[in-house]
Amino acid sequence: MISRQSLIVAKWEFLRFFKWKQQLISYLLMLAVMAAVALWSYFTDESRQQYRIAVPAGFNIANTEQFQFQRPGISLPQQLAQMQTDDSWHAVLTEQTDGIVIHTLTGKKWLLQLEQVLQQHYRKLAATQMGLDETQLARLEQPVTIDTDFLDQNYKGKDTPEKMIAMGALILLFVGLSTAFGQVLVSVTGEKQQRVTEQLYAILTPQQWMDGKVLGHSFSALKAMVTSGLVMVLVFTVVSLFGEKGVDLSWINLSVVLWLIPFALLGVVLCAAFMGAVAASIDDPNTSGKGAVMMITWLPMVFTFLVIDSPSGWAMTLLSFLPLTSFAAMPVKMAMVDVAWWQPLLSLLLLLATVWWMRRLAGRVFLRGMQMYGKEPSWGEIVRWALSNKTE
Amino acid sequence: MQLIVTAISKAYANVQAVNKVSFQINSGEIFALLGPNGAGKSSIIRMLVGMTKPDSGSILISFQDQHYDHVPRRLLGYLPEDRGLYPDKSIEKNLLYLAQLHGLSKAQALVEMDTWLQVFELTERRHDELKQLSKGNQQKVQLIAAVLHKPALVILDEPFSGLDPINQEKVVEFLKQLKARGMTVILSAHQMAMVEKLADHMLLMAQGQVVLAGTLEQIRGQSVDKRQLKVAFEGAVSAEHLQQLPAIAEAAADGRHWLLTLAEAVTVSQCLQQLLQLGELTQVEMQNTDLHQLYLAAMAKHQPEAAA
Repeated sequence: MISRQSLIVAKWEFLRFFKWKQQLISYLLMLAVMAAVALWSYFTDESRQQYRIAVPAGFNIANTEQFQFQRPGISLPQQLAQMQTDDSWHAVLTEQTDGIVIHTLTGKKWLLQLEQVLQQHYRKLAATQMGLDETQLARLEQPVTIDTDFLDQNYKGKDTPEKMIAMGALILLFVGLSTAFGQVLVSVTGEKQQRVTEQLYAILTPQQWMDGKVLGHSFSALKAMVTSGLVMVLVFTVVSLFGEKGVDLSWINLSVVLWLIPFALLGVVLCAAFMGAVAASIDDPNTSGKGAVMMITWLPMVFTFLVIDSPSGWAMTLLSFLPLTSFAAMPVKMAMVDVAWWQPLLSLLLLLATVWWMRRLAGRVFLRGMQMYGKEPSWGEIVRWALSNKTE
Repeated sequence: MQLIVTAISKAYANVQAVNKVSFQINSGEIFALLGPNGAGKSSIIRMLVGMTKPDSGSILISFQDQHYDHVPRRLLGYLPEDRGLYPDKSIEKNLLYLAQLHGLSKAQALVEMDTWLQVFELTERRHDELKQLSKGNQQKVQLIAAVLHKPALVILDEPFSGLDPINQEKVVEFLKQLKARGMTVILSAHQMAMVEKLADHMLLMAQGQVVLAGTLEQIRGQSVDKRQLKVAFEGAVSAEHLQQLPAIAEAAADGRHWLLTLAEAVTVSQCLQQLLQLGELTQVEMQNTDLHQLYLAAMAKHQPEAAA
């Protein structure tokens, strides 16, 4: 059971890092940056301008919205001279036996679009020479539709909205664990350096203290995941508003999202407890190399990502039941394939038991680690503490 | 409340930090642990707080007819030697957090906080972040944090360290208030003048062992090294005559007075009889050795190299 004191510590730790004004400012800054990028992209978009292209006499090419092809009645050197002295021409085309040369002042993005128009023109020319009409040419250019028929009825398909949900879940877990990583390290080592440790030790047990910290930072991580998730949905919505299809959020699979919550919560608690134990053994975060070990908690996401395209394979099955990785793998698997109801339940129970074991282990390491100043314990000592029965 | 410590010992690696130390503290007393650095004071305090356990011996505490073999956290208020709070939080937030951890409601904590902030004249600064305060004021906040929940036993490790004389006096007043409220106080200190004003009982330690123990008077009685008399004669008396007396170990002129150190095993009356042989006495005053001198004398005897 979680004690009242642990809940007080959890609230303190959560609020200690919850600076809503700064968070709001950072989101506004992010939006401002996105808006600036969009505006810059809009104003520098060359495709919306018109370009005058001088073509040789007899070069019959239709004008497009972007390109005006004209046949000037002056010589090529004069055309080139004009292009250099004023903006009469943006480019001058000359034909050669195996193609065409574009004369222009300097490299521009619209040149690629011009090349495409010219390629299209030459394809049409070739088709006419071969006696093909417009419809035949269009058919030649039409790509073939290739569908895959998956006989496994549980598989929901590749590059589907379900995969987007799975990827989103992994990204959100990564965001949550990165938040917890920073906060746990700062919180635990900071208290050691600020000499708060002995004061608190006289008030509550190391286990109560550890439980409170783990809970507080787990809530912080969840908060980061929820806000990031909302931002992702918001960005998707805004982008969709400008698209052809409009806003459509029906692809969000609510049952997967609902399963994701307990897996994410327990996964974050598991990782935060591990991080707390490691952080308690660090004397000075500026000189210790132990902090990097906390990054082990990112491995479940990496392993899951590597097998995301084989959601029914043995590797994903193993990861989705292994308690140290199931919090990342099972929600991803559930998003990609239909699984029997007992599978997430069993995975969740195994994860719950591991969380309980990890919190006890972290409490034992925390007990000794927090009393240690000036010297860092060896890994052997940490393992001995973790396996001992001493909790007070 | 009664605390009985019986023959506790603690060793770290090859160092015997505490060696069979015993003492007893009764309810409402102020008990001082004295001794140089490394004497074992903080080791005893850490055992009392429960951070470490004695290798041998026992700690027994009785409170309201209940008996415990360790000091329960709910009865304890603690100011550690290695101290600090959250520098980027206000005084009020720091104190509220600790008080709530001690089980106080927010309303109770605020009432207690108001009282103690007034005592330390910090009421106006309650919303200041801790890092904005002077070291002395930060220490006052720590002291408040140790007593906010009205503990039965308050353990203060070096409460005077880092404070100027004015603030040291304020801490003396604070400790007197704790005693007046019925709290039992254990403190460790180097500031003998402060301890002398406060402590009901004290324990002088060196190298993990008890050197002297008891009340100030009892310690004076145990420390027979330097009993001094301040006297004045009606007529002229030379140092040579005084030093010839068997009762006098040392004679030093102090203006019109003589400061006489009594020889070992000589009583004051024996000394006075011998002095009267030299002439009429116009003034006789027993010089009470202060705790500082007693401390130095005890250390010189027990640990000559450290005292030197």
